[in-house]
Amino acid sequence: MAKARALDRRRKSVRNIRKITRTMELIATARFKKAMDRSVAARDYTTQLAKILGNIAAVGGDVAHPLLEIRPAKRAALLVLTGNRGLCGGYNGNVVRQALAMLGQWKSERVATDVSVSGKRGITALRFRGVEIASRYTAFEDKPEFAAVAPIGRAYLDTYAAGEIDRLDVAYTRFHGIAKQEAVTETLLPLAPPQAAGKTVKLASDDYDFYPSAGSILEELLPASFMARLFKCFLDAAVSEQVARMVAMKAATENAGGLIKNLSRQYNRARQSQITGEIMEILGGVEALKQ
Amino acid sequence: MAESPRGAGIHCLIVTPEATILDVVSRSVVLPLEDGQRGVGRSHAPFIGRLGAGEVRITTADGAEAGHRVFVDGGFVEVGHDVVTVITQRAVPAAKLDLAEARAALAEISGRPAVGADALKSKLRSQRAARELVRVAGRVR
Repeated sequence: MAKARALDRRRKSVRNIRKITRTMELIATARFKKAMDRSVAARDYTTQLAKILGNIAAVGGDVAHPLLEIRPAKRAALLVLTGNRGLCGGYNGNVVRQALAMLGQWKSERVATDVSVSGKRGITALRFRGVEIASRYTAFEDKPEFAAVAPIGRAYLDTYAAGEIDRLDVAYTRFHGIAKQEAVTETLLPLAPPQAAGKTVKLASDDYDFYPSAGSILEELLPASFMARLFKCFLDAAVSEQVARMVAMKAATENAGGLIKNLSRQYNRARQSQITGEIMEILGGVEALKQ
Repeated sequence: MAESPRGAGIHCLIVTPEATILDVVSRSVVLPLEDGQRGVGRSHAPFIGRLGAGEVRITTADGAEAGHRVFVDGGFVEVGHDVVTVITQRAVPAAKLDLAEARAALAEISGRPAVGADALKSKLRSQRAARELVRVAGRVR
């Protein structure tokens, strides 16, 4: 009896775990939808900014701005975007691995580094590996807000303008689609130079006037486009985290199902053999009484 | 987005990093450029302008002046082919502004010490924006 009862107890606890993982999957699905909507809504801004930037590049000829200048990197900053919570498969681990690879490369090039991390998981993982972390953020969950990201971006712009950092990279999970997310390190500063708007789209009447001047607009536009790209990193990271959790929890629920099936089979077999044993005992007793 | 999708009127979009907060067809749009206001009617020559803090006033297609008033804090505007696209980091419909809150923000900024040319410049800038916010919030009532 003891074995059957132990199996039953295990089966119950696996069932409870399955309930939890299934709920987590549903929550992640709902959050993913919301995060995805936000990400889609934010796309307009980036598209419009890129359009204006392209127009200026097409009209203004050579575009020169401190944010576009490539300086020899003496001191580089790395921003690592991870989640606050685990149970999302390889999501946090992959980003941390990217970050460590980048730091290793900079170390070999003798570049001083300045590491900032968002997300408790990344903070503990990097601290464990002995990385010195300058600033930590744990406030970003599944809905990063622009108002919260903006101060971080502004601080980076200020230190970059002051020459305290020569480059800024962000390690995060880029969202390509529901089936594909990948951990990447992207260089945000210096900015990639704007591409002139394609000639095919441009009409003759598209000769824009600039108020007050193309240079003045560029001065404001480049920081704005940096902010937009930084914000997009945060949004991508949030969406990818939910997808990763969804997939991980789906797998966990399926595994729990398999485990329950196995345990049930073992339990039934144990119970049956116990019953058989008892019947044999009774029969044995009857035979003994007959004699 | 070469032409206004609904024919008559100017297609006006206000886009922030988080969402497109306004997408309407209007008769005219008044924009707070960095150095003063500028009105845009139909068939305006295309331009790209830098915005200061202030309110975007949109007269809707049926002529209602009170149609839409939105406070924007800097950004850009692109005008062309009867499409006005306002790109800003912060946009709040004027009806949602709170005068007391705006006043408190202005007082806080005014009281902040600023040392050095850069800090002073940024302080003056945010002070101007806060003052504009108070003005727009005050007009709602």
